[in-house]
Amino acid sequence: MKKRIAIFLLSVSGFAFSQTSFNAGMFGVLEARQMGPGTMSGRITAIEGVNTDDGKTIYVGTAGGGVWKSTNAGASYKPIFDKYCQSIGALAINQKDPSIIYVGTGESNMRNSVSYGNGMYKSTDSGDNWKKIGLDSVEHISKVVIHPENPDVIFVAAPGPLWSKSKHRGLYKSTNGGETWEKIFYINENTGCADLLIDPINPNNVFISMWEFRRQPYSFNSGGNGSGLYKSTDGGKTFKEIKNGLPEKPFGRIAMTLAPSDPKQMLAIVESNKTGLYISSDGGETWKSQSATLNVCARPFYFSTIVIDPKDPKRVYRPAFQFAYSSDGGYSFTEASYDGGWVHSDMHALWINPNNTNIMYVGTDGGVYMSVDKGVTWQFNHGLPVGQFYHVSYDLKEPYNVYGGLQDNGSWMAPSASPGGIGNGNWDRVNGGDGFWTVPDVDGKTVYSEYQGGNMYRTDLSNMKSEYIQPQKTSKEEKLRWNWNTPIVTGSKNPKNLYVGAQYLYKSTDQGRNWTRISGDLTTNDKKKQKQEESGGLSADNTSAENHCTIFTLAESSLDENIIWVGTDDGNVQVTTNGGGTWTNVSMNIAKCGIANQAWVSSIQPSQFDKNTVYVTFENHMYGDFNTYVATSNDLGKTWKRINSSEFTGFAHKIAEDPINKNLLFLGTEMGLFATLDGGANWFRMKNNIPEYALVRDIQIHPKTHDLIIGTHGRGIFIIDDIRSMRNLTKEVWEQDFYLFQTEDLVLNNGKFGWGGPEISGGWVTGNPASHPSITYYLKQRLNAGKIEIEVYDSNNKLLQTLPGTIRKGLNKVYWNMRETPPKVAAGSTKMDGAGFTAPMVLPGQYKLKVKVKDKEYEGKVNCIHDAANKDLSEADRKLVYEKATQLKTLYSNINNTIDTINLYQNQLKKDTVAFKKNKNAMAFHADLQKVKSDLMATTKKSIFADEERLREKVSKLYGSFCGMESKPNATQLESIDDLSNEFSKKKKEMEAALMKHLPKNPEIKNNKDIR
Amino acid sequence: MKTIKQILAISAISLMSFTTNAQNQEEIIKKHIEAIGGKEAWNKVKSMRSEATMKANGAEIKLTFIQIDKKAMRQNISLMGMEGYSILTEKEGWSYMPFQGQTKPEPMTADDVKNGQDGLSLKDEFLTYKELGKKLDFLGKDDMDGTECYKFKMTNKNGQETTYYLDASSYLTIKQSSKVKANGKEMEASTMYSNYKKLPEGIVYPMTVGGGWGDTEFTKVEVNPVIDEKEFKVTE
Repeated sequence: MKKRIAIFLLSVSGFAFSQTSFNAGMFGVLEARQMGPGTMSGRITAIEGVNTDDGKTIYVGTAGGGVWKSTNAGASYKPIFDKYCQSIGALAINQKDPSIIYVGTGESNMRNSVSYGNGMYKSTDSGDNWKKIGLDSVEHISKVVIHPENPDVIFVAAPGPLWSKSKHRGLYKSTNGGETWEKIFYINENTGCADLLIDPINPNNVFISMWEFRRQPYSFNSGGNGSGLYKSTDGGKTFKEIKNGLPEKPFGRIAMTLAPSDPKQMLAIVESNKTGLYISSDGGETWKSQSATLNVCARPFYFSTIVIDPKDPKRVYRPAFQFAYSSDGGYSFTEASYDGGWVHSDMHALWINPNNTNIMYVGTDGGVYMSVDKGVTWQFNHGLPVGQFYHVSYDLKEPYNVYGGLQDNGSWMAPSASPGGIGNGNWDRVNGGDGFWTVPDVDGKTVYSEYQGGNMYRTDLSNMKSEYIQPQKTSKEEKLRWNWNTPIVTGSKNPKNLYVGAQYLYKSTDQGRNWTRISGDLTTNDKKKQKQEESGGLSADNTSAENHCTIFTLAESSLDENIIWVGTDDGNVQVTTNGGGTWTNVSMNIAKCGIANQAWVSSIQPSQFDKNTVYVTFENHMYGDFNTYVATSNDLGKTWKRINSSEFTGFAHKIAEDPINKNLLFLGTEMGLFATLDGGANWFRMKNNIPEYALVRDIQIHPKTHDLIIGTHGRGIFIIDDIRSMRNLTKEVWEQDFYLFQTEDLVLNNGKFGWGGPEISGGWVTGNPASHPSITYYLKQRLNAGKIEIEVYDSNNKLLQTLPGTIRKGLNKVYWNMRETPPKVAAGSTKMDGAGFTAPMVLPGQYKLKVKVKDKEYEGKVNCIHDAANKDLSEADRKLVYEKATQLKTLYSNINNTIDTINLYQNQLKKDTVAFKKNKNAMAFHADLQKVKSDLMATTKKSIFADEERLREKVSKLYGSFCGMESKPNATQLESIDDLSNEFSKKKKEMEAALMKHLPKNPEIKNNKDIR
Repeated sequence: MKTIKQILAISAISLMSFTTNAQNQEEIIKKHIEAIGGKEAWNKVKSMRSEATMKANGAEIKLTFIQIDKKAMRQNISLMGMEGYSILTEKEGWSYMPFQGQTKPEPMTADDVKNGQDGLSLKDEFLTYKELGKKLDFLGKDDMDGTECYKFKMTNKNGQETTYYLDASSYLTIKQSSKVKANGKEMEASTMYSNYKKLPEGIVYPMTVGGGWGDTEFTKVEVNPVIDEKEFKVTE
């Protein structure tokens, strides 16, 4: 019941004012369920709090989930940036007017999977509304700092593009609250600004660290002569380089901090050939090397946060691989305790409440943690669903499970529906490390998963024991090259086929116990792209993230298991039509339609309608090209046609074809989810409760439930339940003013689940899908005048219920509870009576729908069918339950009619209270009626904690149980109906006797026309 | 209930602001006021008494509203044979919701009374915002459930914010969402308006109002009835 109500409440949609005749607004009612979870959360990039608010208001920036706001110190969060770029680099709050907030998009933790931004945004109303304010091309922003005295002055540190040379990097300054920007410090096209500090006491002192860095698809470099530490003493007009005491250049990334209470005290972690911690006590003029633990110095390109306590210059925090802290100004460090539970490693953000420095929040690769003891122990914030999935999959159970692997958070599974909804506790871990493909076997007992670099396992779901199943190199192969995100795929035609790809394609038909190599090297095998051991720059960093010349995606045709498509990270699309006997490289044909030949092949969708047709997405972002590349071929790859749209944003990850309507396609990119209803000619952005620029990595369509399952890299999993109405919304339909779709058969039961126990406390909770199909209709335009009502009639044309209809443009959904109208409840009780909310469930049969739209009427029908799956209730039992429920409804109504009659007399008697109190006959009459009434219903105990059960309450309880009954009633239940009926007859007679007795003595009532 | 709260939280997300175009803004407000029947007709409205029903799975909940402009309002709710009410005046507020287990009328907190004051005005907010000292921001065009809308935000003297979505073709308000900070909490609530009808007094009134639990449909709206101020006294 509760969940069904929740469905009614779903609101908000999107709408693209596009030139096409269909758009997102038509489908807004197909609201996605945001599965989260909050269980493992995702990478956090920035945390800022409002200083003047008891530490209650906190903003959190995430790697791929936008900005979230808490107004209760982290007890709960809500997203406030769902219409914009989801990759967040930095946040800043104007503490003099905390309604002003700046967001710098484009994360600057420059790992292989980092996304990119599209500029600066500003809100002047605490995050409700946002305005884009420039720096569109810097792609990555690491810090935004507001001048402590003049909040119109803003500095932005922009490392700039990761994948290409660019002039759009360096230190930017605005002196008018972000209206215009000036680049005030710049080194060269390869060097950006990584860190930025302003002395709060003397704001003319500005410190910056410059960073030379670059990624290529197959290598990473952090370091170069462009890197350096600079100081300005004139508010950023001029800068001088600081070298005194620092190690020899070249430098890599430098993270630095100063003590707000004593800004001459500074610390810096300098990546160099002698990476280490450096201390200055003269405002950065001279530095001294300080020995420090591995944790303090490790992976400087990824861990760039070091913070000194706002009040205590000796207290230093280094959130990095682990959380380290120092009480002696950085001379020695120790690490946080796990007494409050394990704390996710890999940390990137820290906010300390300046008014109570015991309290702080740290952002990790797995969410936000709060400490109230200066960072010693930490408590997890369970309500931030910002997990970064790479892939999603499903099984065929009821309800089905979803599976997926996440960046730095392993592989997980969860039911798509569960009694009471799906909470953090419904998620089960399948594997660790970085998770990617997580694929259930058709046997329903086994799942395949992996961690980075193709380390793959077969897991027995009954006990979660795993076997390592990666195929190994033999003397016949070169060293195997496994992508960071290695494809593990089961066959679409023959689900017993299991495929994995290194540079060769391997196939198993026995769950990975034995493997057959079914191809040669399908990549370009370019040796220049295989020097991963040299990757990292000044600090070695080779975690398989740069492995290259590997198979990245593959698919078996659902029409022919001998047709297999393979896509590589170096631009090859290969196809076999004989199960791997021979392979054809069709990539040269693709290049002809304008897609760079080195682009990653990100997904392949063989058509489910035609063996020769295929859809492929490509992405070239690692060469600095963020365009959306999609192409299709209908001749097995000989010729290709580009699919494009002005709606598209972001590089393409995944294309999915609907299994029923071949013109319905979905595309997921780094910046959005798109759909087409006409085979790819026109596209629109999907906004169905999904962030408009979500990083959509994977899309699946469930064959049984028709659900669209969306895996995002930053907002977890979304499910749009039952997209059949989207399939059915054809041109013939959308051109009409109103269209009533045929309602799916309604199975007569109380839904799939019971109550599910007390509510889940805390964390992210998602509701279940609607328990029954809706009555669905299409409206060409929103209805402003007049209303929509849906009347349901039985076969005798008796009106059973009138349902209020929704009036939104496009699809509308209205749910009928398969019941009649509940009985009326007489007034005067001290207890609320629930019987007035329920009615007998209808019997199987066809019911007529009459939809009244303003002054027009449309007719439809719906079949209600017996729930054959319920062995506890035969059709004969159902009839009995219905008859008895109806009998109880009549009894209940009769009781209420009697109470109404009593009320009528009593109100008349007491109409003139002064006269009433002088009239003994009237008082006696009233008292006798009250005696009957107090037997008929609860009239004394008001407290909900005090039971008072009279006849109406007893009948109500029994009536309620018959209305909800899904098994044969027992004998005592049946017998008690007669007992209660008899009791009522007795009470009715008592009332009649009271009337007989008192009416003659109360002629003014007897003769009152209002009563007669 | 958590789910519902989360859904509401999600639905409260709003959009990018556009450059304010003062001229455009004045024009939209003018057309909005025309669409709701005009200033003159609204200026004559001093009190209202209305009856409404709310439907839930076929069950009907009866509601009555009485209000004297800028002075006092009362809502009665009749549910499952019980009667509850809430009263708000310039000075105090009471609620008695026996369905929720209240055994006697309970006073509203000072914050709730303060925040409710703007609601005592019977008139459309676009007619009164200046007089009530509210700040108005025009946030440009946006879509709401697929309908193109003009979006405005009003911030009152207490800092409470309400966003209005005006249908770009009819200029009528189709949605209003409020963010209320009170009693240390921040809450959001949205109301949908539809089924506009011109009343004999000339004002155009939404006969269907959608809130958290479903649609409320007005069955009778009386303009300028005589209302006894005693009706705003707490009764048991």
